[in-house]
Amino acid sequence: MTHALETQSHHTATEVTAPTRTEEEERHDRIFSWRELARLDEALTMSSRETGLRFTLYIGELGKRTRIRAEELFAQSGHDLADSVLLAVSPGQRVVELVTGSTAARRIPDRACALAVLSMTNSFAAGDVVGGIVNGLRQLSDQAGHPPGLRPR
Amino acid sequence: MPVWQTVLIYVVAPLAFVLFLAALTLPGGRKGPRWKSGQPWPHEPVWYEPHPEALGEHGGGHGDDHAALPAGHAPAAVLDAGSSAGAVTTTDEVALPVSAGPLGGARGTW
Repeated sequence: MTHALETQSHHTATEVTAPTRTEEEERHDRIFSWRELARLDEALTMSSRETGLRFTLYIGELGKRTRIRAEELFAQSGHDLADSVLLAVSPGQRVVELVTGSTAARRIPDRACALAVLSMTNSFAAGDVVGGIVNGLRQLSDQAGHPPGLRPR
Repeated sequence: MPVWQTVLIYVVAPLAFVLFLAALTLPGGRKGPRWKSGQPWPHEPVWYEPHPEALGEHGGGHGDDHAALPAGHAPAAVLDAGSSAGAVTTTDEVALPVSAGPLGGARGTW
């Protein structure tokens, strides 16, 4: 199942007590339905698995300088940043930022990113957040192709 | 054949079948109001990452758990976890905002 990384931690647990996760559980249920969460999970995981790049998804505020904030978040996304792609959507501000690491950018050129973003914004304008994200991820992973070691001969 | 029997077989039965399929496939009323473009987004920021096994790493095998990644904390904690998982790149150990070479991407608004 997708790991949803909260941007505000509510850690009141210690090694002895049980983790207090109940608040996070219902919060995830309120943003998207379970079916939509499953679609997001599948899209993220399949894109990552097929391309060998690490796709992460951030949905929330991006502040006044959206690009700077998106790049900060990208730097925090952990693991191998050169192979990572961050899709940051701020529905309230009506902005979507796509950040690709250096290796990922070679496989997904900026022009392809712009095309994916264009189709996403069309979906978002119609109110379809999950569908836009899923289709955008599919376009990006189609563009990236398979990792060099796994390309079909 | 009596008229009522004809009607029952050729009209009511197919109609009942079609309505049954419609009830299964058409979306029911959505819980709560749908978000429309232009409305403020009322939820806290959420961050989704792919399943750790998708990249062939030995993730924790958490299943349904949610890992908390506080965005306000220094990136050093996250990057330490990243480098200990086997993805070692020299630039990752420094908490710089741009440590993965020239970043690409795109931006869109609507």
